[in-house]
Amino acid sequence: MTRTFKHVVLALIVFIWVLPFVALVTTSLRSETASKTSGFWQAFTPTELGQRFGTHDRDQTDPFVSMSGNIFERLNKNKDSFQISGDVQSIMFKGRLPDPDKPGKTKLIKKLVAAGEVMDVRGGEFVFQSNGDFTWTFPEETAPKPKNLDAFINQNPVFGTDAYVEVLFENENVPNALIASFIVTIPATIIPITIAAFAAYAFAWMSFPGRDWLFVIVVSLMVVPTQLAFLPVLQGFSGIASWATQLNAWMTDCEATQTCQVASKTFASLWVTHTAFGLPLAIYLLRNYIVGLPKELLESARIDGASHLQIFTRLILPLSVPALASFSIFQFLWVWNDLIVALYIGPADSSDLVFPIRLQKQLGTFKDQLHLLNASAVISIVIPVIVFLSMQRYFIRGLLAGSVKGG
Amino acid sequence: MARVELKGVNKSFGKVHVIHDIDLQINDGEFVVFVGPSGCGKSTLLRLIAGLENLSSGEIHIADRAVMDLPPSKRGIAMVFQSYALYPHMTVFHNMAFSLELQGFSKAEIRERVESAATILQMQHLLDRRPAALSGGQRQRVAIGRAIVRNPDVFLFDEPLSNLDAALRHETRVEIAKLHNQLGATTIYVTHDQVEAMTLADKIVVLKDGEVMQVGSPLELFDSPANEFVAGFLGSPKMNFFDGKLISREGDTAQFEGEGIHVGGVRLVSIEKNSGDNARLGVRPQHMWLDPEGPLRGTVTLVERLGTETVLELVTDKQTNFRYAVPEHLDIAIGDQTAFNFDANMANLF
Repeated sequence: MTRTFKHVVLALIVFIWVLPFVALVTTSLRSETASKTSGFWQAFTPTELGQRFGTHDRDQTDPFVSMSGNIFERLNKNKDSFQISGDVQSIMFKGRLPDPDKPGKTKLIKKLVAAGEVMDVRGGEFVFQSNGDFTWTFPEETAPKPKNLDAFINQNPVFGTDAYVEVLFENENVPNALIASFIVTIPATIIPITIAAFAAYAFAWMSFPGRDWLFVIVVSLMVVPTQLAFLPVLQGFSGIASWATQLNAWMTDCEATQTCQVASKTFASLWVTHTAFGLPLAIYLLRNYIVGLPKELLESARIDGASHLQIFTRLILPLSVPALASFSIFQFLWVWNDLIVALYIGPADSSDLVFPIRLQKQLGTFKDQLHLLNASAVISIVIPVIVFLSMQRYFIRGLLAGSVKGG
Repeated sequence: MARVELKGVNKSFGKVHVIHDIDLQINDGEFVVFVGPSGCGKSTLLRLIAGLENLSSGEIHIADRAVMDLPPSKRGIAMVFQSYALYPHMTVFHNMAFSLELQGFSKAEIRERVESAATILQMQHLLDRRPAALSGGQRQRVAIGRAIVRNPDVFLFDEPLSNLDAALRHETRVEIAKLHNQLGATTIYVTHDQVEAMTLADKIVVLKDGEVMQVGSPLELFDSPANEFVAGFLGSPKMNFFDGKLISREGDTAQFEGEGIHVGGVRLVSIEKNSGDNARLGVRPQHMWLDPEGPLRGTVTLVERLGTETVLELVTDKQTNFRYAVPEHLDIAIGDQTAFNFDANMANLF
């Protein structure tokens, strides 16, 4: 394979991977009209669109001979964002003109009038330029009613963050989902990694009977799919919940207020489930890393008088930072993007829904509002990206440099 | 008094028996070197003393305390590893202070002890560096410093020079010898390098296949090896062996014949042998001289000119290889026929 070919393939792969993200971001930054009328790939080039504008405000009734204005000013009058700019191509003229075939009669015609041409609007001469300036001149002072005209404008690309403002601030759903997702994800990352680090050290450096068999069992648990365990896990949680409900009824006087019921699907159930299903991989990854640390380091620490806990906290943890960081990213992404576990085991209150469930619900409510849907999606993507980038500095190579020969 | 005593020490890894019934006495302040070919169990023996491995049977006493059930840190030992085993995320200071911190010393005392150890090793200027920023020799020095601050009864060195280059190895060897004189602590040093063993040791323990071959001072071992293995292991170039027969025996000397050599009054090492038995004559390359009338004849196959020494590789008519070493320049070429005589008093019969 030649270099060029490799580069082409590489570029293609990058393109394919990046394209959906670019599409999401682009669409989320476009106006509702734009996202409905054209694809994201057209967002960067001028597009010809029809826009209707009124010549002047209805309450402006002072008579005049000549009036001048600007089509864009008229169009953008009530717009804070997605301001229209570009070139006015033509205006659709609709009106009656004397019929050349039948003298004395008029005829309804529709025609496109280009910039600079004179057109008859309410008896006045209406002329516009492609930059939007127009003049409307009457033979004598008149106070015409405003006229709505359809202009065809070659619009410049325009982007705005309206969709983000709308999903983040004008509605509680997305902020709530963000908070819920963090409530789920942070403990569901920290708990398994803490347990796994201890377990990995034990599997790697402590000898106890059945260690290797236990490790094989733990590793083989990786093949158990989460979905397979939903039923027993749910049964377990509802068992615990009903037990807690009874305990609650017995211990407190909740029966009077009818508040005895303890929920079985809570954030805590999500933490427990994600911990349980994340642990095998975490233990496996960390154990393989920790077992690769130089044996002499640990022996040296033993001679220096360090206990297992001290070896763990003062040697193993600082030296395992890259492995811990990479597993946290895995676990964070997996929990952050998880839909199905949250759906079955997580809390069902609308305010407690995690982000993927919220997105799925938005598919229903926002199905014709692509820009809003995409803004939510981008928000949910951006968080893991930030996490990944901030973890980047922990992927240090050569952490062991200088400890042992060749290390 | 930091004596180290091993009584009937055995160690098996599963079915493999690696250390066989070792009894050893190491006196206070002695520098003992365990030497032997790789796989002879010398490192395992050191690790048994350190407590990094558990004994299969036997007893180990350090400073008159039975230490078999004590963890490494309570045995009064400090160990220097071949691979340095420095803590890479800590500065030199913290590497050295680690054990003291764990023992709960005050900060002032830790600083004092680390600094005095650093002064001994002349590395005060390295204290703030990380191991990654040190050279191989400096790292080894830090490893030694880490042992010194613990102020142990016994220093254990596991092939500490193997990872250094030749020049640095010599330098560090000299430093270790000086350090031992200065601190006067009992030291056990494992190496496969006989030069290190000969130069450093008060007492050498030669090991083979997990058994002690001989214990003694370097010159004792050199001059009167207890068996063929020790004779062949120590000395450079190696001792020459010639096959032949034991003709007659008078007490602990004997007469030998073989390879055209007929010599009497040679020290008999294998005292179980009697006249008529097959025997091997051991002659050090340095104990021979060129003599046209000499009984030992050979053809030169290789000439090594080391500057300080000329070493000849030769082969006899019976295809026995032997070497001759002399501290002068020799005008001799490959293929030359030469004859040698040797000092029967310095020879050994196995």
